[in-house]
Amino acid sequence: MTSATTRPKPPPKWPYTAVGLALIGIVLVAGWSLDDAKWERLPQFPGEILQYAGQMLDGVLTWPGAHPEGQADPELTYGDWWLQSLKLMGESVALAWIGTCVGALFSFPLAFLAASNTAPLVVRLPVRLFFNAIRAVPEILLAVIVMLPLFGLNPMAGAMAIGIHSIGSLGKLTLENIEAVDPRPVEAVAAAGATWWQRIRTAVIPQMMPETVAFWLYRFEVNIRASAILGVVSAGGIGALLNRVLRGREWEWGGIMLAVIIIVTILVDQLSATLRHRILHGAEATAVAA
Amino acid sequence: MSQATLERPGGSPKQVRPAQPPPSPLLIGGILGAVAVTVVAGWAIDFSLAPVIEQWPMLTMILEEVVHPEWAEITDPSSRLWIALKETAAIAIIATFVGSLIALGVALLGSKVSAPPAVYRVTKPVMSVIRSLPDMAYALVFVAVVTGPLPGILALTIFNIGIVAKLTAESIDAVDPGPLEALDAAGATRWQRARVAIVPAVLPNYASYVLYVFELNIRASVVLGAVGAGGIGQLIMLYFTRDDYPRMAAVVIVIFVVVIAIDLLSQFLRRRLV
Repeated sequence: MTSATTRPKPPPKWPYTAVGLALIGIVLVAGWSLDDAKWERLPQFPGEILQYAGQMLDGVLTWPGAHPEGQADPELTYGDWWLQSLKLMGESVALAWIGTCVGALFSFPLAFLAASNTAPLVVRLPVRLFFNAIRAVPEILLAVIVMLPLFGLNPMAGAMAIGIHSIGSLGKLTLENIEAVDPRPVEAVAAAGATWWQRIRTAVIPQMMPETVAFWLYRFEVNIRASAILGVVSAGGIGALLNRVLRGREWEWGGIMLAVIIIVTILVDQLSATLRHRILHGAEATAVAA
Repeated sequence: MSQATLERPGGSPKQVRPAQPPPSPLLIGGILGAVAVTVVAGWAIDFSLAPVIEQWPMLTMILEEVVHPEWAEITDPSSRLWIALKETAAIAIIATFVGSLIALGVALLGSKVSAPPAVYRVTKPVMSVIRSLPDMAYALVFVAVVTGPLPGILALTIFNIGIVAKLTAESIDAVDPGPLEALDAAGATRWQRARVAIVPAVLPNYASYVLYVFELNIRASVVLGAVGAGGIGQLIMLYFTRDDYPRMAAVVIVIFVVVIAIDLLSQFLRRRLV
């Protein structure tokens, strides 16, 4: 107790420095390995993107009754572009919804065969392996390899690709919900002589249902974004036309399409978030939050 | 059952089980609403499973080719497959690094714990607009400026900023207020608060979000290739348009293995971090 300045030594900083330097090294190696990345074009990017964004904004802000210049059909108005984008975005939302339904329908029963408190190990392992395997295949691959040959170039292909992929991710989340239920009600009904089915029906499902439905809604939000991508391989929705329009550098038209995507996505997100909050926290909490 | 047998000796004429509560009107409304949406959506996309039966021979024909992948593509380290895979890895690494660094700053501006109200009220809606566009939409705009891996890197960078900034801002919102109050009492500036109390507190969460987007970026490479923004997806689209299913199968196998490996690795790291 000679001096009042016996402060504890700060923990060493070198581990952070080492990790940071190693990461920077990896990034530099990665950057150097890309020999056809035209890095010298980088400074031009902001200018060009701003210019395109300006044209897109022009398209969005133009009165919908006006006629765009340079189009083959002189009768075409900006309003037609809006309506067409809305219709295709509606198709994207619809196929995302159907895909989510397919995913929910199949993942729900399967999850009970994958949870440690409802299924034995021999059943559990193959089902979990199945969930992980389909999660690892991106939707767009499923669409290209399986769904396009089956359904042709239409929204059913996209919906099924999204649906199959969702089985994996929803299955994993649902089984985690099942494993997280309070074991006491399950033990109580088991003690009263309930069968496996009765235990699940009366003690497990009522406990895990709200979280699971909330996950379905969340997955629907994710799938709307995925459905826009599937359009690029012509599996339905707004992506196909967006791909064509942006590649054709029709910035005004593309701007309207992007605006529709942004508006619809945010609206559905908000609606879904409100529903999820209501499902998870009840009416009172939602009234306070709103 | 057991309740009924217990009641009988008492001579009570009726079972006195409590009545089951009626289902709430909201539940009924919710189910009806979901059914209605499903019917409309199914009608909008012409829902039909008939093609599964009609087109089954077509699918088996393709799968026949898919199950005989071109192994030479995988075993030859100088094949296009490995070059494309290296490109995909490089794109994902650079985009994750740059995007996450920027996202940390944006997250600090997007939480009411670290930023003044005027700033976070602007940052939040801007972030949700950025996130509402899929990565592919950015890539489509960027490939109009230049082709190759650069538009892919930029598209993923923006996409990563959106996700990491949102998740990190939510972590910052939940930071323990104790150290912050201590710093405020000692007269710390905003920068000092962020540096000393906020960033160290959210660092483990932040690192796990970074790993998560790295995973997403590897998956996204398939999508980016489809619009010509570089990486292994370009190869898939090439073989798809040529109906070269054996070569495509080789690419798919490699993607599958890489995605699962990165999944497992990042799960392991995240479990240690949080």
